[in-house]
Amino acid sequence: MSIANKFTALSAWRHKLRAHATPGGIRPKAYKKTSLRSRIMPTPIPGLLILPLGQHQGTAAEALVSVGDRVLKYQTIAAAAQSNSVAVHAPTSGTIVAIENSPVARLANNLNESQLCIHLEPDGKDSATELYPESDYHLLDHSQLLQRIADAGICGMGGAGFPTRDKLQLSIDHKIDLLIINAVECEPYITADEALIRERAEAVVQGAEILLAATRASRCVIGIEDSKTDAITKLVAALKNSSVELMVIGTKYPAGGEKQLIQAVTGKEVPSGLHPADIGILLQNAGTAYAAYNAIILGQPCISRITTLTGLALQTPKNFETLLGIPISFLFELCGINESARLKTIIGGSMMGIEVSNTAVPVTKTTNCVIAGCAEEFPSPTDEHACIRCGFCATACPASLLPQQLLSYSKSSDHQQLQDHGLFDCIECGACAYVCPSKIPLVQYYRASKSKIKARQASHAQSARWQNRFQFHQFRIKKTADDTSNKKPRDTPAADIKPKLEDFSRDEARRKIADAVARVQTRKSKLIASTKNANSNNGNMPGVEE
Amino acid sequence: MTAPGPGSPLQTSTQTIAGIMQLVLLALVPGIAMATWFFGFGILINILLAGVTAIALEAAILKLRKKDIRLHLGDYSALVSAVLFAIAVPPGSPWWLVIIGIVFALVFAKHMYGGLGQNPFNPAMCGYVLLLLAFPLEMTTWHIPNEIVNSAIRIDSLGIGDITSDQQILSPFSWLGLQQSLVLTFPFIARNSQQLIDGLAMATPLIEFKMAGHSALLTAWDNGLSWFDRESATGWELINIAYLGGGLLLLYKRIISWHIPFSILLTIGVISSLFYAPDSAAIYGTPYLHLFGSATMIAAFFIATDPVSAATSNRGRIIYGILIGTTIYSIRVWGSYLDSIALAVLFGNFCAPLLDYYCRPRRYGHLRRGLVQRPNQATEQHREKGIGEL
Repeated sequence: MSIANKFTALSAWRHKLRAHATPGGIRPKAYKKTSLRSRIMPTPIPGLLILPLGQHQGTAAEALVSVGDRVLKYQTIAAAAQSNSVAVHAPTSGTIVAIENSPVARLANNLNESQLCIHLEPDGKDSATELYPESDYHLLDHSQLLQRIADAGICGMGGAGFPTRDKLQLSIDHKIDLLIINAVECEPYITADEALIRERAEAVVQGAEILLAATRASRCVIGIEDSKTDAITKLVAALKNSSVELMVIGTKYPAGGEKQLIQAVTGKEVPSGLHPADIGILLQNAGTAYAAYNAIILGQPCISRITTLTGLALQTPKNFETLLGIPISFLFELCGINESARLKTIIGGSMMGIEVSNTAVPVTKTTNCVIAGCAEEFPSPTDEHACIRCGFCATACPASLLPQQLLSYSKSSDHQQLQDHGLFDCIECGACAYVCPSKIPLVQYYRASKSKIKARQASHAQSARWQNRFQFHQFRIKKTADDTSNKKPRDTPAADIKPKLEDFSRDEARRKIADAVARVQTRKSKLIASTKNANSNNGNMPGVEE
Repeated sequence: MTAPGPGSPLQTSTQTIAGIMQLVLLALVPGIAMATWFFGFGILINILLAGVTAIALEAAILKLRKKDIRLHLGDYSALVSAVLFAIAVPPGSPWWLVIIGIVFALVFAKHMYGGLGQNPFNPAMCGYVLLLLAFPLEMTTWHIPNEIVNSAIRIDSLGIGDITSDQQILSPFSWLGLQQSLVLTFPFIARNSQQLIDGLAMATPLIEFKMAGHSALLTAWDNGLSWFDRESATGWELINIAYLGGGLLLLYKRIISWHIPFSILLTIGVISSLFYAPDSAAIYGTPYLHLFGSATMIAAFFIATDPVSAATSNRGRIIYGILIGTTIYSIRVWGSYLDSIALAVLFGNFCAPLLDYYCRPRRYGHLRRGLVQRPNQATEQHREKGIGEL
């Protein structure tokens, strides 16, 4: 082997296994072991399923059923809206008993704590509609693949819930080189992806291959934390005959953030304000890959997901393959909850999760973890001390910001400095607030400042628009005035013009309108006729949109 | 802007400001112990006096400012300022000197700017510099009771029985040594005028080192003297080593970052090496003595690293350290003040806001100088071609 070859081999090895360094990060206590003791358990069917129409980010789906309808398992009960939306399917057979506003766990940037939900009362028979599995996804072309994924109602299963079809569609007008499957799961408490890979690595790898075909990328890398040894072993075995690569990443939070994982895998950074697709990279969650496997290979739409039930208030924390729409209180019962010890209920992890007050909220497509936390794990927040600029936050920040400076500018509402110091590069991971010895809720300050700045920008834009319009209005008035003053005086006196206005005849106007309507109607009917002809001539020709 | 309600992250670390300050105090203990061993109870009396005054003052000001006294007093920050100030003030200084300094440090340099976290200058050093300017004589004289070998004191007058010799060397840890120190600090407790001695008035120890030329530790080693013997004049070197140890503890615990101490020590080391020549050591001093003489280590690890008044980004911290190191050396060698830590640190404090502004780290997704990266060329070309081959 020549030296050059050796060098290539060495760099290839480096490329394959070594993750790039990323700045910042913290190592919080993980609390992951207890929920990994058990295998993934199925859930029994509860008495009522609550299916929100907006389980994802974007436009809510539109209900296709009405109260009293009987539905079968896998049946589409709400269709995706035009864009940025995903469909909802019935997780089991039963009757629709209500479509009404119910409490839900809000998504990260949606403040509504209740939304329109379909209430399904299961009949216990669990009778399903016919499925159309496609064991060889190579037979499907790109658009069919995307359509199937859209039909299955898949959105990002990692927690953000971005509609998967819309993300995959980025591959149409972007050149995607690399697909990264995010199995890092860096947040404390959550073990859903780890449990999934540990038990169903082959399915995840197949799902990754499907997504690879759906993005038309040349490479696919699965990123996973080095602490998940069981899952890595299973993945290595499952990847033997696959082109998908594996990259083991150092355990720290937030290694699984979109931008951080891209940096760890490629060494590249996503330019500020751009999407990863702009540098040829797409990310999908491991859970999403599994959902894609279910959708294509098994033909099943997304009616269940893996959810971690954990926290010290539960006797037997574990991962469930839970039906969507199950109230989390039902899952708590299954795990043996100690209600008196439960202090907090958190949907998501302890770093970026959302506290819910109502345990009747259902599991949705984005619910990766539910924590029933005790006072022992979540001591009540101490009072906020002054910032001593110790800089621990700057060391922890994965975006290399200076959180201590952002805080002082947030407090003084110095919007220009906030933007100069990169407030909008903050990913709100909360690493700064975690390490803060003064216990300052930094992320809350940043969120408040961000919304203030956005509101201000919006109002500025609006006032600029009104100012423009007003200036144009004044210009026009002046112009008209100038024109009239420049015109030579009329031959006829003003009084003579008036009768001309009285020439206006209602009948005349009505006749003109009727003429116009008739013209439009004939054109329309001609158009419809020609379309029908075209369709009968050539079945594949697309219809004319009206 | 009011404090927002709770939200993510719901999990936080257990480290608190009080914990950090306690660790800083702990890291100071070896140095203080060593200083007490060599220079007597004076330093402990200073610390006690400054500490008690500081806590009382802090509580009073917090009450005036209508703040939660227990919450803010519980952060130990006033105590740390007081201890750092007390270490800097010469042992055996009169009580009013210490109190004037600590009042200026806490009231004027800290709370008048808005309390902890708002002060642009290091409070302890502000107090020290005020005293240095207002009372130069008191601030450059060290009173060390164990050196009262040839003083005219009549031991009997102190009311202690069996010691009669005028030539007796007093241990600073004897009852008499303690009494001596107390009398130095609180002259009004002396029962007669003869007790109002001032021990040996001794200039700041750097002078001694300027003449000495090389390490007292090595000299003591060569002469077979114990390092911990007060006669072998190893005091300042051992004190510096003790503070270095405490500083390394803080580094190890990640309470302070390496940037400031490292750049200060490196700067002093490099500059003093550049100017060092064996025949001019009496003027410029040796690099070793610049690092281990006087209060270099305590400045580098404890005083300049005060996060509130220091530069906050890592690059800023390095430049901040270089500025302080250069200033320390310049004032020592070319300035009129013998020791210059306080002035140098205040100079660094002046520059810190500017350093913070110009030394921001490169943020994720940005090029240097705040430029925004553009999408790569392939993507641009792809876009220009329009929709792909679908």
